[in-house]
Parts: sequence; structure tokens; C-alpha cells
Amino acid sequence: MKQHPYWLKKRLDFNEGFLKTKAILKRFGVNTVCESSRCPNSVECFSKNFATFLILGTRCTRSCRYCSVRSGIPQPPDIEEPRKVSDSVVEMGLKYAVITSVTRDDLPDGGSSQFVKVVEAIRMKAPHIKIELLVPDFAGKLEEAQKTAQSRPEVFGHNLETVQRLFTYLRPKADYRRSLELLKSVKDKNSALITKSGIMLGLGEKEEEVVETMGDLREGGCDLLTLGQYLRPSADNVPVVEYVPPDEFKKYREMGMSMGFKHVSSGPFVRSSYFAEESYNELMEVSYGKCRVAAAC
Amino acid sequence: MANVVLPPLAEGVDKANVSYWHRSIGDAVKEGEDLVELVTDKATFNMPSPLSGKLKEILVNDGEEAKVGQVLATIE
Repeated sequence: MKQHPYWLKKRLDFNEGFLKTKAILKRFGVNTVCESSRCPNSVECFSKNFATFLILGTRCTRSCRYCSVRSGIPQPPDIEEPRKVSDSVVEMGLKYAVITSVTRDDLPDGGSSQFVKVVEAIRMKAPHIKIELLVPDFAGKLEEAQKTAQSRPEVFGHNLETVQRLFTYLRPKADYRRSLELLKSVKDKNSALITKSGIMLGLGEKEEEVVETMGDLREGGCDLLTLGQYLRPSADNVPVVEYVPPDEFKKYREMGMSMGFKHVSSGPFVRSSYFAEESYNELMEVSYGKCRVAAAC
Repeated sequence: MANVVLPPLAEGVDKANVSYWHRSIGDAVKEGEDLVELVTDKATFNMPSPLSGKLKEILVNDGEEAKVGQVLATIE
């Protein structure tokens, strides 16, 4: 294993909370993207009692070259999953839950109904919990994306992951314009809904391409942006082309804010759900004052 | 005497390389101070000492691989 640049060094934040979180996830039999992606933040997040739920199984019908989620023929959706996820969310004492999924091209609705059921199950048990959805592209079926948006999550996310030029190579079954259209379409139909997207850096993109991507997202009204360093999950995935220094991330953050994003999280260890709750709360504080309801009065 | 065990570094990751010991055998160590640097495919981690004492043994040297749960060192 090679050494990483100094900015990819982190202190190991391991405590009892990690074991507690693991035990809850195991007890309810739910999956996390933290584990599937071998996320370097996972021990820190679990220790802080946070995890990002991965629904609709652990097998993906896509095979993006940067992703360590296993591809293959997935199992049918688990009808108990909404209960299991909502029980876990409550048991973990979360105030903010992030739900994502593998891509299910095999399902007629792409899995949208399962997203909706999970949101409904959480709302039923704990209506105060804020929910962020990070959805797949539903193979371009905008009506399915709209269904998940109508379940009224606090944040609706869909990641571009990379710049347009690299889609063909890195995401052969995905489409840059289709993903942009999904975000725009959801925003057009639900103007109050906060939309979010994320890009990984270090995959060979050029600065002007990153800026262009940010501009494309803003054209679709995207509110929140995350930018993080791509880190190779295993030897089966594409290698890192470049380790982007912290100053570059800072520059992109400033650019993003000047382009009109309401919040930009940008840094080597940033992932779309890393400190998602804090990002959301910061946005609410800046945009609406401490209480969104009060600001609306 | 207490064992210093390789804790989980990331979900789905079951091993790491020891890249650098911040302390040598016989050195005093303090709880919470950086003790050993560990490298996985994705990142480098500084592991703090789990307790104060004297570093008695190093069982996994610089450049060697360890599995999660393996004893890296002992502290007395």
C-alpha cells in the first residue's frame, strides 16, 4: 500500500459508539453504503452514531468503474426493509437520516416505491427526523424520480459523480444529461425542495470541466454541492489519477458559492453524506434563520 | 499489561499496513497521543494510544501488514 499525501491522513476516531451502531445495524439487518463503499469516514461516522442506509439490496445492476458495490442480479426488494430501516433510525436516535440505494434497472419503477415506503415508515415512527434521499437515475424515468420527491424528503440528492467527458468510461450505463435533467425536473416541479448533487475529484477531470459541471447543476437549480477526493476502493477499481490538494477544494467551494449554490462542502474526505446533517443545518440557519417555520411566518 | 489491537479502520476493510511507529520500545506513551500510523487503500490513519504506560513490545513492525483484531503492541 502506498503512502497518501499528508491531507489524506486522519486521526482514527474509534469509540464505543462504533460498536453500538454496528450492533443496531446488524440487529435490524440493514445495509449501509459506508460498508459497501469501504468509506474511510465510516469508523468516525459510526462512532458518532451516524450511518447512510443502503436500500434495495447490496447488488447493483450497474458497474461504475470507481464503485466497490458489487454488481450482479439483485434480490427482489425486501418488503420488511422500510420497517427495518425506520427501526434502525429510531434506535440510533438519528435526527437526520440519509437513505440511498443501489441502482435497480431490473425493477419497473427503479425502486422508487421502496424509497417512498422507507420515508413513510420513518415519518410514521418519528416525524421529527429529517430525511435526505440520494437516489439513482431511475434509467431516466422522471416520473419515478418525481414520486420519490413527492415523499417530501428535506433534501433530494442525485450525484453526477464525475464530469460529462468521463461518463462514458466511468459510468457506461449512466448519462450526464439524463442525470442533470432528473435534478432539474424535480426542482421544476417542487421548487421548495432542496436538491443536492456530488462530484468526485481526482478521476482525471480538468478544472474547466468541474466548473462547467457546477454551472450545469446550477442551471437546473441545484442547491447543495459536495466535492470530495476519489479514493480507490480496491484493485478492481480505476486508479486515482490525481490527489487534489486542499487549496483546490477550497477554491472550488468559493467558486460554487459565487455561482449560487446555497451550500458547498468541498474537501478531500467529503462524501455526499459526510456531515450531511451539519450541512443541512448550516443551510437552514443561513437561509431561514434558526427556525425554518419562524422564517416563513 | 495491555494489548494494542488493530481496530476497524473503515467498514469493509479488514487489514492495514503499519507504516510508522511514533514511539519506540521502552518509550513512555500517553493515552490519546499518536502511537502508530496505519495505511489502507483509501487513507492513512493515526491511531492514538489507548492508554498511558510504557511501550513494551512492538509485534507488527513498519511495513508489515496486520488484520483487524490483531495485537500490534503491548503497553505496561
